[in-house]
Amino acid sequence: MRRNVCAVLFAMLSLTSAVSAEPAKESVEADASTRQVAITSSFTGTEILVFGTVENSVQPSADAGTYDVVVVVEGAPAPVVVRKKSEVGGLWINTSSMRFASLPSYYAVAATRPVDEFADQAVLDANEIGFEHLRMILVRSGHRTASPAELADFKAALIRLKEQERLYVRSNFGVTFIGRSLFRATIALPPNVPVGPLVARVYLFKEGQLLGQYKSRVMLEREGVERFIHDSALARPVLYGIVTVIMAAAAGLAAAVALRRPA
Amino acid sequence: MTLYLPIAEMSVSIAVYLALGAAVGFLSGLFGVGGGFLLTPLLTFLGVPPAVAVATSSAHVLASSVSGAVTHYQRKNVDVKMGFVMLAGGLVGTIIGVEAVHLLRKAGLFELTVSLSYVTFLGVVGTLILIEGVNAWRHAQKTGAARSLRKSGQHSWIDGLPLKMRFNRSKLYISTVPPIIIGMFVSFMSAIMGIGGGFILIPAMIYLLRMPTGVVVGTSLFQIVFVAAFAIILHAVQNKTVDIVLAAILIAGGVVGAQFGTAAGEKLRNEHLRILLGIVVLIVAARMAVDLVTTPGDLYSIGSLTGGL
Repeated sequence: MRRNVCAVLFAMLSLTSAVSAEPAKESVEADASTRQVAITSSFTGTEILVFGTVENSVQPSADAGTYDVVVVVEGAPAPVVVRKKSEVGGLWINTSSMRFASLPSYYAVAATRPVDEFADQAVLDANEIGFEHLRMILVRSGHRTASPAELADFKAALIRLKEQERLYVRSNFGVTFIGRSLFRATIALPPNVPVGPLVARVYLFKEGQLLGQYKSRVMLEREGVERFIHDSALARPVLYGIVTVIMAAAAGLAAAVALRRPA
Repeated sequence: MTLYLPIAEMSVSIAVYLALGAAVGFLSGLFGVGGGFLLTPLLTFLGVPPAVAVATSSAHVLASSVSGAVTHYQRKNVDVKMGFVMLAGGLVGTIIGVEAVHLLRKAGLFELTVSLSYVTFLGVVGTLILIEGVNAWRHAQKTGAARSLRKSGQHSWIDGLPLKMRFNRSKLYISTVPPIIIGMFVSFMSAIMGIGGGFILIPAMIYLLRMPTGVVVGTSLFQIVFVAAFAIILHAVQNKTVDIVLAAILIAGGVVGAQFGTAAGEKLRNEHLRILLGIVVLIVAARMAVDLVTTPGDLYSIGSLTGGL
């Protein structure tokens, strides 16, 4: 009798959980391992870990592939000009240029698999997920008419150059699930990463549908001597210039006196 | 050991930049040129943003020039009066040059102007120095004595100009108009090219003003001290591209190198020095000319919209 009650209870419990799991919407919550990255004189680049969890996960195991997660980490937007050289009378000189209104100074995208395999172009465009889906607004072109093919060439070159500088990073399988709901991704910040606030965006997809997203901030700030010098250069440029002049002149004088040999 | 540069925003190896500063400092002490024409392209080649490279080179130029100028001054090789006369023109030239940079950039011709200026000036000046050096060397071998560049009693159109002044150190009594114009022109070019201008100044002083070669190097360094200091403050205020940490590393190497360079320069004969300087200048010119005429590996480049160059 007692055993039967248990069996019924268990059956009821599993039934309710099965029933309630169907409508329970999955969502995503995430964070970065470091909220504050200090740039000191010994900074040589760093890594940040972005991790998160899928709420109400129905994924049976870590490698089931029920969900796709995309992690985007981007730096403050800034205008960029791309120049192209061509041959004029035997000399290679910059002849055309295109200027884009605002592009992330740093852009890293990591996903459970290539984003184009599971998500619609429209969704990727709307959320600026992936290099090809970044909004590049042309401000002014060096010459009057820029054909669509030319524009595409400039955009491709821009992304290629940013990738060479390691400022644009793509990691197609950079997000991994550790359990049924827990995932993680490591994002490399190169030593030349532009200093400023970073935004980490996390997107959760299931069968091509965007189920949820989460946003987190990482501060990238100069500290100590680096901060003092940089702030001085911006806030008191005349004094900064004079100090540089005095330092250089004093070093020159000291060397002349210290290393003086009989004339 | 690496260090993160606060303005250039990059992590660099201290040893590499110390060595670079020392090498350029040695050449600058040896030839009496500021060395900016060597340092700026080398820094850019190592990945320093061009705007920061131009501005920070000025600090290295200043330190090397002070170090060299003091040594030359102690040996009475500086014509202070001539230096100040050229400087008067130089400050005007710098202001005109900065305005020209602004206009050229607006017209989109800036980069081409810089490249062509480098190749043309370094090419012409290098060739002239080399030819003159070789001729002097040949002459010296024949007669066993260095040929004097200055022929006393020689008259030229320069002697007809007004505002004459006596320059005791240079043993000259000439009009102040040519030195002022030379100072103005060199500073104008150096504002455009981002250099001190010693390699233009030295031949101009030798061939146009007919100053004795002994005081030319010291006087050039003396004048460059002020031009470089002016340039640093201008860059710090207008472009905020002076990296004081990078400057300190380059200077530490540079001042020591400059002392050895000055000492080495005294052991070498004047004509040999000129041949060597001519070769170094021509190498830099050739390197830049090659960049202009060969098909670049990448036709595209990214430019930031902030900063100077």
